[in-house]
Amino acid sequence: MNIVVAIKHIPSIADDLPVKGNNVDFDSVDFVLNEFDEQSIEQAVLVKEAVGGTVTVVGVDMIGELDAVLHLALAKGADKAVKITGDDPAADSHQQAKWLAEAIKGMSADIVFAGVQASNDLDGQIGPMIAAHLDMPYIGGVSSVEVAGDSAMVNKEFAGGVGAKYSVSLPMVVGVQAASKPPRYAPISKVRQVAQTATIEKIAPSGEAGAGLTFKKMAPPVVTGHAEMFTGSSKEVAAKIVELLKSKGLA
Amino acid sequence: MLTTIERIAFIVLALTSAGFAIHGIKTIVDSVRKGRSAPELKNIPASLIKAGIMVLFQQTIFKARKILSTIHLGLFFGLITYAFVNLVDILEGFIPGFDLVYGGKHLTFPFLPSGIINAFNLIADVMSGALLFSITVFLVRRFIVKDKRLTYRENVLLNPKVKAGGQNKDSLVVGVFVILHVAARLLGQAFRLTDGADPFMPIASFLNGIFGASQTGVHVAWWISLCWVLYILPYITRSKHTHFTVGPINLGLAKQNPRGQLDPAVPAGEKIDPGAKFIHDLSWKRVLDSYACVQCNRCQDVCPANFAEGASLSPSALEVNKRYLIKEATFGSHPERLLLPLTETVISPEAVWACTTCHACVSVCPVGNEPMADIIDIRRRMIVDGAELDSGVQNALQSLATNGNWMSKGKRLRGRWAKEMEIPVKNATEEPVENLWFVGDTASFDERVVPNTKMVARIFQQAGFDFGIMYQNESNAGNDVRRVGEEGLFEQLVEQNIAAMGKAQFKQIVTTDPHSFNTLKNEYPQFGGKFDVKHYTSVLVKLFEEGKLTVKNPLSGYKVTFHDPCYLGRYNGGFTAPRKLLELMGVEFNEMPRNCENSFCCGAGGGQIWMGKVAPGERPAENRIKEALTTFEKNPSDKKQLFIVTCPKDMIMYSDAVKTTGNEGKIEVRDLIQLIAEAVGLEAPIISLETEAVAS
Repeated sequence: MNIVVAIKHIPSIADDLPVKGNNVDFDSVDFVLNEFDEQSIEQAVLVKEAVGGTVTVVGVDMIGELDAVLHLALAKGADKAVKITGDDPAADSHQQAKWLAEAIKGMSADIVFAGVQASNDLDGQIGPMIAAHLDMPYIGGVSSVEVAGDSAMVNKEFAGGVGAKYSVSLPMVVGVQAASKPPRYAPISKVRQVAQTATIEKIAPSGEAGAGLTFKKMAPPVVTGHAEMFTGSSKEVAAKIVELLKSKGLA
Repeated sequence: MLTTIERIAFIVLALTSAGFAIHGIKTIVDSVRKGRSAPELKNIPASLIKAGIMVLFQQTIFKARKILSTIHLGLFFGLITYAFVNLVDILEGFIPGFDLVYGGKHLTFPFLPSGIINAFNLIADVMSGALLFSITVFLVRRFIVKDKRLTYRENVLLNPKVKAGGQNKDSLVVGVFVILHVAARLLGQAFRLTDGADPFMPIASFLNGIFGASQTGVHVAWWISLCWVLYILPYITRSKHTHFTVGPINLGLAKQNPRGQLDPAVPAGEKIDPGAKFIHDLSWKRVLDSYACVQCNRCQDVCPANFAEGASLSPSALEVNKRYLIKEATFGSHPERLLLPLTETVISPEAVWACTTCHACVSVCPVGNEPMADIIDIRRRMIVDGAELDSGVQNALQSLATNGNWMSKGKRLRGRWAKEMEIPVKNATEEPVENLWFVGDTASFDERVVPNTKMVARIFQQAGFDFGIMYQNESNAGNDVRRVGEEGLFEQLVEQNIAAMGKAQFKQIVTTDPHSFNTLKNEYPQFGGKFDVKHYTSVLVKLFEEGKLTVKNPLSGYKVTFHDPCYLGRYNGGFTAPRKLLELMGVEFNEMPRNCENSFCCGAGGGQIWMGKVAPGERPAENRIKEALTTFEKNPSDKKQLFIVTCPKDMIMYSDAVKTTGNEGKIEVRDLIQLIAEAVGLEAPIISLETEAVAS
C-alpha cells in the first residue's frame, strides 16, 4: 500500500501575525507544520501499521526549513520524505496543490492524506484541488480510516455532531480532521537521530496553477467590540446576566 | 561447657547456616552486579567510614519521627552488642573454664581484667533489656496499634506477596527471634549465677532470684539462644532485614554528585537504551537500594504524591517491590519475572507520572536510597519507547521542541514584557552586561506572574544593577523537561541556551526561577555550560548589604510565612537568603512546621504543572495553605497575612489553592519581590492577584 501525506508548512499564529504590504511579513514569522497535517500523518502511520505499506510525506519547502518537519514525520513512522523546493513563502494553496499533485503523480499512491484545512486555508481547498489534479475521489472532514483490500471505511464528520461511514474505493484523497488516535509524541532523541541519518528527496516544483486568488489587501482586524467583565458577588453577577438576557429578548 | 557431641552438632549446624547465609549474600551481590554502572564514586573507603560514623550516631534516622528513632537506638545498639555477646557465648561453650560471671571469678582461661569483664557483663545485661523493650514497642506498634504509616494506600501497586503481608511476616519472625534469643540468653546468664546476684548483671540477677541456678538450664538456654542465631542469619539475607548490613553500606555508597544533578540517561561511554525498563536497567547502586530499605515509610510520609487518599505512588513500595521481584527470581522459581517491565512489577504507570521530583523521599531516607531517580529513569525509557503521554505533557513537550517554551507562545513574545518597561532592558546577546537574567517561561509569559517579573526589573534598575536578558534567544532551561524524562529534548534545549549564552557577554547568571537555577547551576556544566549562577534572593541580599537598596517603609503591618521552593531549598540549600530579606523588610515572620529541608512541595514540579489530569482529593498546595493558616492562628493579630513565595510556579499553585480552599481574604500569596518593592518605596502599584483579571 502506497500511502502519501501532503503537508503544508505555514506561518505560525503563536506570534502576532505581522503584515507587510498585501501579505504576511514572512521574514518575521516562524513557520510551523499545519496542525491538521499532524493528524493526517498520524492517520497515515496508523493505516500503515494496520495493513502494511510505506508512508511518503511530501511538502513544499516554503522558506528552506521544511527538513525539521520531515524529520519529525520520519521519527513518527513515515518511511520516505520528499520536499518540493518551492522557496516561495507566498505560494498559495492553488500553487501548492498543483506542485504537490505533480509530485504525487509519480508515486502510484493508493491513499493521499491531507489536513482538512490550515490556518491559512480555512476553506480547506488543498485536498480537493490535489484530488482534482490527480483525478481521484476526495472525502474530507474525516476522523478515521480503515483500509480493507482495495477499499476503505471512512468516518466523516458533519456539523452538529453527526457522523457518517463511507466505503470508498481506492485510490482516494482524504482530508483529515482528526486521526482515530491522538498524534503520537516523537522523542527528540529519535528525531535527532533521524535528522543525522535520513535522506530527503528533493524535487523541483513543476506546473503552474493558473488562476487562483490574488491578495488585494491584508490588515489586522479592526476591533469593533469588547468583552464586558461583570464583577461583584455571584448573586450580583447572576442578576446582571439575567438583566442582560432580558434586554436582548432572550429571557 | 559443651560435650563433644554437642560441639560436633553445633559445628555442623553452624556450617549449614553459614552455607545458606553465604548463598544469600552471593545472590544479592550477583543481582546488584547485574545493574548498570553508576556515576563513579570517589574515595569509597572514606565515604564508608563517614557513613559508619553517621550510622553509629544514628544521625540520618533522626531527620524524622524522633520518638520512634529513639526506640530504634535500643535495637541498633542492642544488636551490635549482641554480635559480641554471641561471640562470647560461643567461646563460653567451646573453651573449658571460660566463664565471665562475677567479674571472671571462675575464669581459668584466658586471663582478662575483671573491670573489662564487669563492663561487658553490664552492657550486655542492660542492652538485653533495651532490645526486649524496643522490639516489644515495635511489635506492638505494628501488630496491635497497627500504625497506618506502615501500610500502603489502596491504589499503590504492590507485589502480591507484599500485599499478602510479607513484610509483617518478616517483622514477626525477626521480632520473635529477638525476644526468644535475648530471653534465652538472659536466662542462660541467670542460670550461671551459682553464687547469687552479680551487681554487674542486674536483670540476670533478678531472674536468678526467681529461677535459681541450673547447669542443665545453662545448656538448654545456650542452645536455644544460639540456634536462633543460626536460623536467623540466612533468613536475614532473604528478608527486609538485609537492612541491618546493607543500610550502612548503601549510605556509604550514596550519590556524591549534587542533588540537583541527575544521573545520565545512559551510563557514560556506553551505547545502550536510555533509562530503565527492566530491573537491571537500573544502576547497581539503585538495585542495592532495595536491600537497604526496611520499609519504614518515612519517604511515603513526606511524598506530595502520596498525600491524597487515592494516591498511587509510594517510594517505599517501589523499593520493596524491587526486592521482591529479585527475590522471586533468585531465591524463588520465577527468573522470567526479571524480564517483566518495571511498570508491571514495581510501580504503576500512573504512579510514575505522579512524582513531582521534589527530592523529599531521597532527602529523608536514612539509608541513602533514591527512589525518585528510579522513577525518572523509568520515565526516560517510556518516552523513548513511545508510551502514550498525558495530553498536557505532550502538548508542553511539543511546544518546547518548536517554540522553546511550554506555553505554545511564539519565541518573539518571550521578551514582550521587557519591551513594555519604561526603562529599556538590555539585550544581552547584543551588548555586554554584568548580569545575565535567565527569566524562564512562567515569568516571561504567564499574565499572573509578569507583573512580578517587571517588578524585579524595576528593582534591579533602581539598585543600579546592570543586567540584560536574551529575549527570543532564551529557551526553557529544561529542568522539568529532564525530570519528565525527555532527555533528548533537554539536551536540545541545553544546546540552544548554551549557544545563545555564547553570543552574550556577562559575568554571572541570575534567575528568578528555582527550577532554571537548579539545572543551570548543577547540570549545564556537564554539557560545557560552566557559569556562575545565582538565585535573585541572594543577589538582593547583596544589594541591601552594599546599600544599593534600602528599606524606606518597614512592613511591620504584615504577618508572613515563607514557602521554601524545592529547587531552591532542598536541592540547593538556599534557605537563608529569603529569610534574611524578610527580616530586612521588618515583617512579622512565622515559620511553618514544614520548612527548609522539610518543606512540602507545591505539587507542580517534575512536569506536574503540565499534566492535563489532576489526581482527586486535597492537593498538596491546598494542604500547605492550611498549614500556613494554622501557623498564623498560633499567633493571632489583626495584621495582614501573607504567604510569601520565590518561585513563579508557586505563585500560580498557591494563588489557586487560596481560592479553592475558600481562604481569599484570610491569606494572600505574594512573591517576595512584591514586599521588597513596597519596602524600598518602588513607585509601582503592588499587584494583588485577587483583583487582577486572570488571562487564560
